[in-house]
Amino acid sequence: MTQPTTTLDDQFTAAESRTRRSRKKSLSSNMAAYGFLAPAGFLVITFFLVPVVIIFYLSMTNLSTSNFTTDLSAMQFVGLENFRILFNDQFAAKIFFNTVFYVLVTLSLFNVTLALIVSLLSTHIERRAGFAFRAIWILPRITAATVYIMLWRRLAVEAPYGIINQVNTLLGQTTYNYLDARPWEFVIVVNGFIGVSFGMIIFTSAIESIPKDLLNASLVDGSTILQRIRYVILPLLRWPLLFVVTYQTLSLLTSFEQILLLTDGGPGLYATEVWSLTAYHRALSNYFGNAQWGYGSAFAVVLVIIGVVLAVIYMRVFRFNELVAEPKIEVL
Amino acid sequence: MNRRWSVVLIISLFLISVFGVAQAQETIPVTIRCKANVQGGEGWRCDNFAEVESQVEADLGVTLDLTLIQDDIDWGDYKQEFVLASEANEAPDIILSGHEDIGAWAASGLIIPIEDKLADYPQFEDVVPNLWESMKYQGLIYGVPQDAEARPIFYSKLLLRDLGWSEEDIDSLPQRVADGEYTFADMLATAQEAIDAGVIEEGNGYWHRGSNGFDWLMYYFGEGGQITDEQGNLVWDSAAILKVYELLASLPETGVTRPDMIGLSGSEVWHPAVASADQVLFAQGGTWNWGSWAKQYVADRGGNDYLLPNIGLMLFPALDAGTALTLTHPLVYMVSSQSENPDVAMALIAAVTTPDANNRHAIDSFHLGILKSQVESEAYKNDPVLSNAHYMLDYTTGAPNNPDLPAWQNAYWVGIQAAETGANTPQEALDLATAQLKNEMGDKVIYK
Repeated sequence: MTQPTTTLDDQFTAAESRTRRSRKKSLSSNMAAYGFLAPAGFLVITFFLVPVVIIFYLSMTNLSTSNFTTDLSAMQFVGLENFRILFNDQFAAKIFFNTVFYVLVTLSLFNVTLALIVSLLSTHIERRAGFAFRAIWILPRITAATVYIMLWRRLAVEAPYGIINQVNTLLGQTTYNYLDARPWEFVIVVNGFIGVSFGMIIFTSAIESIPKDLLNASLVDGSTILQRIRYVILPLLRWPLLFVVTYQTLSLLTSFEQILLLTDGGPGLYATEVWSLTAYHRALSNYFGNAQWGYGSAFAVVLVIIGVVLAVIYMRVFRFNELVAEPKIEVL
Repeated sequence: MNRRWSVVLIISLFLISVFGVAQAQETIPVTIRCKANVQGGEGWRCDNFAEVESQVEADLGVTLDLTLIQDDIDWGDYKQEFVLASEANEAPDIILSGHEDIGAWAASGLIIPIEDKLADYPQFEDVVPNLWESMKYQGLIYGVPQDAEARPIFYSKLLLRDLGWSEEDIDSLPQRVADGEYTFADMLATAQEAIDAGVIEEGNGYWHRGSNGFDWLMYYFGEGGQITDEQGNLVWDSAAILKVYELLASLPETGVTRPDMIGLSGSEVWHPAVASADQVLFAQGGTWNWGSWAKQYVADRGGNDYLLPNIGLMLFPALDAGTALTLTHPLVYMVSSQSENPDVAMALIAAVTTPDANNRHAIDSFHLGILKSQVESEAYKNDPVLSNAHYMLDYTTGAPNNPDLPAWQNAYWVGIQAAETGANTPQEALDLATAQLKNEMGDKVIYK
């Protein structure tokens, strides 16, 4: 009797079977993880991916109030016509650079720098005082946008109605219609004061979590406060800084409600109009009624693309994988 | 036994009658949404429905459950709310909005034509006939006028007196404007004279609207522009628009108008300054401003008693076209296509289209009457402001119900901002505006 020999096919079948069993085992062992991820995954798909797909679709239709329908199949497909109109719009470039200016200046001056300063100051004073100081800085964020803007308008409006101008009058100084004379300054300060609180919370928690041993060691070595900040604290804030820069860039790109309420993109010709405000103006608010949902969606699509590109760049340049891999501060 | 059956019969008859009455008195929910500055006296736009509720219930034999929503948000948001509510199948039965919305809302089926229902209600025969023209889209009537107004130039009698004008000169000013004797150029000359004489500060000679809106059409019409051709196509008359931009560019240059006029806050600066009558000589606004001034801005000075001797109204004086004019933008009750009871909605609208109901609104908010018998009524005639302004409807112009009008208006507004702020020359502003309109509308507009 000859021993049965295994053919090449049998070997392949056995190997395939092993692989399948291994995959099955791996899948079943990961089921729990997928189960835990499912709710978050569902939310991300429903509230992030699906709206983006819908916006892309709407941007290729001529949907407006006058041919309004919620039936996607009944909408009139116009291909890239809205994008042709957008890129031929003589003010698109101005609005784009307004947006770049607004994001860069607000981010650098307030959302990062001032947030860092407030965090450092409030963590270097008596704890309760620091807490109260930070609580005050959170007020702009938790105040209703309309109330917050009304306060600023009341400050900025011209004499004799505006508070700043009332002070100017008392001091014998010239009075201004500040929102006309200095629109960008007000737009940036108003948004910046809101933005400070986010970075402040992140930075403060990071500073508070620095091991005391390190700070004490620097004290023993005779460091001054400034040296401690420069050589101990700031290097340990690298990752929180990068996170705040990334998150706040994307946040500022899409924020427009304060500008809408403060200047509505004016004064004059698109002076403080930013990209997301234009999308809103086109798609959702038209004084004369016939809102252009399709064209406004084209503006939104451009914003989505810019946001995704920036997010990828930030993740690559700032090595986000390392950021989420392990908590650097605790390791130290 | 007989007695027991009699009791059962009586109770049964009682229950049947109660049940039958309850069936007859069907409760019908009706939601009505109105844009209204309630503090300024416009609350009757919706409140009038509450006044006629029991009357309509009796007429129709139904019980009404009215929900009245008054809103004074920005026009753009207000209109969008209706569209979004319709998308969510939560549209009100009756929506009050500008007549221009008929174009877009009728085209998208958000509102229904009501032409065949008008004959059922004699109240509608009383409506001033030419108002029906602005209720039409593609030949069908879609709305019932709620109010009308004029957009006059307010002039400060106080400051004209300071300038040395006699009472006779002041009182005759509206007539001289209507006759074309006192033109827009004359008005600017008077403003300049007042500045030179130190009666007013530089920039306070003539104030116009600070934002986009229908008022700007008056300049276009005044310069001879035509908004639609005979087929209803939108017309872009470059020659007329260039004249408008040249005029507006000259206003801050000469110092008659302040350089930051565009974008100037209405509630914080414009209204307080104009209503006070002691800062601004001429200001272009709307008759309804009077209501909010009297009730809000100068209420502490006596309201109407302060305004009447100190502020007057006149037509928009003649520009190159040679005739004085004004513009009417009637607000309209429309019936939503989602209304389950359009006949009840129409009965309610008919019930508030009466002299009594409309006078409550007109007199409280200083809007012009829409009914023939209303303008002849004692209450209307005896109102000093309305009686002084009603003649303006003879000089009125309006905007067409064309769904593409917003693109036209927005392009026109781009040029207005470019020219008046000095960012561009008038010719450059025209080129910018024309390019924008061509980019967005292409050949749908006739360019002259």
